[in-house]
Amino acid sequence: MPIHNEILARAVDLRKSYGEHEAVRGVDFEILRGEAFGFLGANGAGKSTTMRMIGCVSQPTSGSLEVFGRDPRTEGAAIRARLGVVPQDNTLDGMLTVFENLVVYAGYFGIKKKDAREKAAELLDFVQLTPRAKDQVSELSGGMQRRLAIARSLINDPDLVILDEPTTGLDPQARHLVWERLFQLKQRGVSILLTTHYMDEAEQLCDRLVVMDEGRIIAAGSPRELIDTHVTKEVVELRFGPAHTTELAELSLTLTGVGAQIESLPDKILVYTDDADDTNAALDARDIRPTSMLARRATLEDVFLRLTGRALVEDET
Amino acid sequence: MSTAVSTVADRTAPSPLTGAWRAFTLQLALYKHIWHGTVFTSVLLPVLYMVSVGIGVGAYIDPASIGGLTYAEFIAPGLICSVAVMMLGNDMVFPVFGGYHEWGGHYLAQRATPLRPIDILNGHLAYSVIFRPFTNCTIVAIVMAFFGVYTSWWAALSVVAAALVSASLAPWLHFWASSLKNDANLNMIFRFAVMPISLFSGVFFPASEMPGFLQPLVWLSPLWHGTELARAATADVAPALWPAAHIAYLVALAVAGWFIARRVIQRRLNF
Repeated sequence: MPIHNEILARAVDLRKSYGEHEAVRGVDFEILRGEAFGFLGANGAGKSTTMRMIGCVSQPTSGSLEVFGRDPRTEGAAIRARLGVVPQDNTLDGMLTVFENLVVYAGYFGIKKKDAREKAAELLDFVQLTPRAKDQVSELSGGMQRRLAIARSLINDPDLVILDEPTTGLDPQARHLVWERLFQLKQRGVSILLTTHYMDEAEQLCDRLVVMDEGRIIAAGSPRELIDTHVTKEVVELRFGPAHTTELAELSLTLTGVGAQIESLPDKILVYTDDADDTNAALDARDIRPTSMLARRATLEDVFLRLTGRALVEDET
Repeated sequence: MSTAVSTVADRTAPSPLTGAWRAFTLQLALYKHIWHGTVFTSVLLPVLYMVSVGIGVGAYIDPASIGGLTYAEFIAPGLICSVAVMMLGNDMVFPVFGGYHEWGGHYLAQRATPLRPIDILNGHLAYSVIFRPFTNCTIVAIVMAFFGVYTSWWAALSVVAAALVSASLAPWLHFWASSLKNDANLNMIFRFAVMPISLFSGVFFPASEMPGFLQPLVWLSPLWHGTELARAATADVAPALWPAAHIAYLVALAVAGWFIARRVIQRRLNF
C-alpha cells in the first residue's frame, strides 16, 4: 500500500493519437509513492501506450502528464534517469553475458563501474541468477531473461519501476517466480507500475488499478473495491454439455431470478450471486440440471466482463 | 530499489557528449566479444591482398602507368580506406537495424534510460567513425608498413583519411538501416553500395582509366576522395583535387548524413 501521499505521476485528460486512430482517449490517474499500480485491459486497450508516455518515450498528443512533478515533453531524460523499465520484449543484449548486461546498462545512468559491479552482483542474487552470471543471455530461458530484465530495471535505484506485461509468454512456474520477486519488491516499498491482461496477476500484485478499454479508463480502485462495486461476491459457472452460444443464450432466459445477474458466454453461463447455495437451490427447484456447475468467488475477470461485455481472453492473440 | 548496495546514479539529463559516451560503451562491450574476428579484416585480409594483388599482380604492371609507384605502393592506401568501408558494412547495417527490433533491441533498451535518440546515434557513430578506424585501420596501416610501401611518417595520416571516409558514409548507412521495415533487403547494401564503391574508387587502378561516362560516379564515391588523400600521405603524390576539396566533400557528406540519420532515429524511437 502507498506509504506516502507523494504523487509520482499524474495525468489529466491524457490523449495519444496515431493519425486518425486515438489510442488513448482522455485518461486521468494518479500514482502514489510506495504503491503497486496496475493498468488492466485487453490487447489494444491503450495501456501500453499510456505506459510509454509515462516512460517518456512517447509524446502525449494532448492533455497533461507529470512524472516526478516534471513535464515528460521537455524533461524526458531527467525523468527516465529515475525510472526502471521492464519492457515486454526484455531488450536484453544477447551477445553480452548476464553480468555484462547489468554493468553496461548501469553505465547509461552514469553509474561508476565499481559501483555497477557491486550492484549487479546484488541484483543477480535477488533474481536468483548468480550461477548464470557468466552465461550469455541467449542461453537463458524466457523466465530467466524476464528476471534479468527486472534486475536490470533496478540498477539505478529507481523511484518507479514500470513493467509492461511482466509475465506474458512465461510458463506457470516461471510466472510464479516472477510474481514472487515482484512481491518482494513491493514488500521493500518499491513503487511499481504494471500493465497486464492477467486478472490473477493484477489481483496478486496491485494495490490499485484502473481498467482500460478502447483507450478509456472504465473503472478504478483496489481489486477488492472493483469486485465489490461491480460484481456479486460469488459466481456460479454452468455448462450444459455441447450447448453453445445460441442455445446457451436461450437457456439463460430460463434462469432469471436464480442470481443477481445472468451472463451468457459462448461456452457457459455465469450466474452472479451473493450466495451460491441459494442459487443451487433455485436451480434444483426449477429442475435445471447443468452437466457441470462450479461455484467460485468473483474475480477481476468478472469485473471486466461486466464492464465491457467481453472476456479478456477473447482479445488475446 | 533501496538495497544494501546503493548506486550513485546520475539523476540529471546527460550532456550530449556524456550521452554519446554512455551509448558508445555498449559498442565497446560488444567489441570485446568480437575483436578476434577483426584480426581477419585488419591483418590477414590486407596481407592476402598485398601478397596476391600488390606483389603478384603488381609484377605485371608498369610503374609508369601508375605515376611511377610500385603496384603495392599504389594499392596500399586504398586498401586502408577500403577496410574502413568494409567495417562499416558490418557495424552500420545489421547492428543498426537490430537496434529497433526484438532480436537486437539495444536501441530500445537505451531509449528507456536517460539516453536520447541523438545520444544513441552519436554513440554508435563514434564507434564506427572514431574507434574502429583508429584501431583497426591503424593495424592495417602497420601491416602495410611491413611491405615497405611508405615514403615517410606522414603515412600515418592515411588512417585519418580512412576515418573521414567512415564519417562520410556511416550516417548514411545508419539512415538507410533505420529506415528499413524488414530485414529482407539488408544485404542489398553490400551488393549495390559496398562492393561497387570498393571496386570503382581508384583503389586498384587509377580512376582516370575508367570510361568517361563513369567518371562522375567516381567523383561521388567517398572512397575515391579518401584514397586520394591517403595516397598523398603514404606515397607523397599529389591528389586529384586540392586536399582541402577532398576533405570538404567528405565532411559535407558526413554532416548532411548526420542530420538525416538524426531525423530518422528520432522518428523511430519516439512512439
